[in-house]
Amino acid sequence: MSNNNDKPLLRVQGLKKYFPVGGGFLRQARSFIHAVDDLEFDIPMGGSLGLVGESGCGKTTTGKLLVRLHEPTDGQIFIQNEQGELEDIAHRKGESMKTFRRRVQMIFQDPYESLNPRRTIYDTVAEPLVVQGIGTIVEREERVAALLERVGLTPATSFMFRFPHELSGGQRQRVAIARALIIDPVFIAADEPTSMLDVSIRTGVMNLMMELAGEMGVSYLYITHDLAVARYMCERIAVMYLGKMVERASTEELLANPLHPYTRALISAVPVPDPRISRQAIDIKGGVSAPIDPPPICRFFARCPLGDDFCENNPHPPMEDKGGGHYVACYKV
Amino acid sequence: MAEATPILSVQDLVMHYTTRKGDVSAVDGVSFDLENGKSLGLVGESGCGKTSIAFSLMKLLPDNAKIKGGSIYVGGTDILQLSHDELLKFRWQRIAMVFQAAMNALNPVYTVGDQIIEALDLHWGDLSREQSRERIGQLFEMVGLDPKLMDRYPHEFSGGMRQRAVIAMALSCNPDIIIADEPTTALDVIVQDRILRELKKIQEKLGMSMIYISHDIAVIAEVSDRIGVMYAGRMAELADGVDIFEHPLHPYTYALMRAFPSIKGEKHELVTLPGEPPDLLFPPPGCRFHPRCPRATDVCKQEQPPFADNGRGHFVACWHPMEANHE
Repeated sequence: MSNNNDKPLLRVQGLKKYFPVGGGFLRQARSFIHAVDDLEFDIPMGGSLGLVGESGCGKTTTGKLLVRLHEPTDGQIFIQNEQGELEDIAHRKGESMKTFRRRVQMIFQDPYESLNPRRTIYDTVAEPLVVQGIGTIVEREERVAALLERVGLTPATSFMFRFPHELSGGQRQRVAIARALIIDPVFIAADEPTSMLDVSIRTGVMNLMMELAGEMGVSYLYITHDLAVARYMCERIAVMYLGKMVERASTEELLANPLHPYTRALISAVPVPDPRISRQAIDIKGGVSAPIDPPPICRFFARCPLGDDFCENNPHPPMEDKGGGHYVACYKV
Repeated sequence: MAEATPILSVQDLVMHYTTRKGDVSAVDGVSFDLENGKSLGLVGESGCGKTSIAFSLMKLLPDNAKIKGGSIYVGGTDILQLSHDELLKFRWQRIAMVFQAAMNALNPVYTVGDQIIEALDLHWGDLSREQSRERIGQLFEMVGLDPKLMDRYPHEFSGGMRQRAVIAMALSCNPDIIIADEPTTALDVIVQDRILRELKKIQEKLGMSMIYISHDIAVIAEVSDRIGVMYAGRMAELADGVDIFEHPLHPYTYALMRAFPSIKGEKHELVTLPGEPPDLLFPPPGCRFHPRCPRATDVCKQEQPPFADNGRGHFVACWHPMEANHE
């Protein structure tokens, strides 16, 4: 083991992204959506983190920040460079950004939207190689063909010169995986990559992603609303609520021993595909709203069954290690 | 069997969509019964015909759809034989539907209350405005909405509230049967859980019969007394909920159950089915599942398996069903 493995592959500190609301051409926006507010976490080399939460909690924004499709409002994103040193890429631009793009890639949710309908599968998958100026045309073709076979689009020659509309959803998502992996990234942010697929197709895509990540030593952030999928795909799970991370632990620990009242409610609400198991539902009041200029107290306070005066008069609780790397942001546990 | 007549009995239903490329055989010889006060869950992947069945039961078919055969008995009457006027009386009063994507099921330019009044007027006719509003207030309370919200517009509602409003609308004419087509699919898990529990409570309180339709076997497992698994326009297996989970007989049911991850129990490898569902313009001969089936033999390629009762009301359409005691 080289000492690279002691360092995390990716480290996020104080990451924030605020989006202005209601601003205009000459009018300064007065309100901000705190889409991602002060996140802090590591992803180890070869590790996987599942990011779960309800719609609007900031999962996708977090994924886009990590691959720098958004520029953060504040905070640092460290990622190991080829020399194994942590480099902050939060505000990178231009040529040094391009080097970084070889290291991280993203897989999007909707395979019907994320592939250019006018380009062949070969063009789509080879594009990162072209942009980065890797290999000759012949080498690129070989590489694309080999990877297409590997993701299960066999024989590759029959797929390479087809267009996306000739492929099914599952096949398209396999193309998206091939495009993300073609330049040997070290990190992939996958945003609900299987939520549009049917069950019998979805399993194949999930298994493929895990196998390939293992073989190629790629770490990934897996964004999903489905805790059962996160459990299957990831070693660790982080739960987000209104832009904040509220709990993070190894997968089995989080599911067996959830500490945050929101995580508990979330886990208790997941239906179980077995009528012989009955579950005890924990109800919480209200629904999720948009975090527009939220008060500085705990974001979950309005819905929390445990909240009291202390919670109401103190800032959002910090993430605290309750032992064994089980982090939780709550004053009441 | 000498049981009470089922509230709904579907026999050999065949439904096609006509397209420029030819006929799509969306529902092909589906039969099932629904007993009074019980719930039936239909589960399957996109294009398996679950929603087409729902539209057939409501006789709300798109222009290019045609029911080619079979019968649908509701309380003894075959609704496929009803005239247009008789249908208007039957629909919503006997069977009502909670549509998929509640976002689009409400008209944005009317208040939610007015839309329900419209449904009430259509069927009761002689209610005064006060009576209607009182009835809507009761319906709102039943589905967990504040009655004051009836004068709001759909855009002021969250996804969960809209879904509740659509459920209230379906309940407005006291139907015997409610069909819920993916009632919680676009909703977050906590809201989904709450709505499913409320639907169950309402069903018990009013003694209604329910048909749930979903692609999510976990949702179906939680709400259904009986479960029907559909594949490519046909019913593959139909049995009591616990029975189908303990002893799945059809290889597709077996595969489907092993393709779903769960947060409970041992973590197990998820099994992948090879291939993709067939194009129903050109359905495969014999058993429609045979190109993907690990147990398929020559007979499966040539002859359609009968949908037969294997004892205790456990129906399966397979030439080589799984042994009832595997595992």
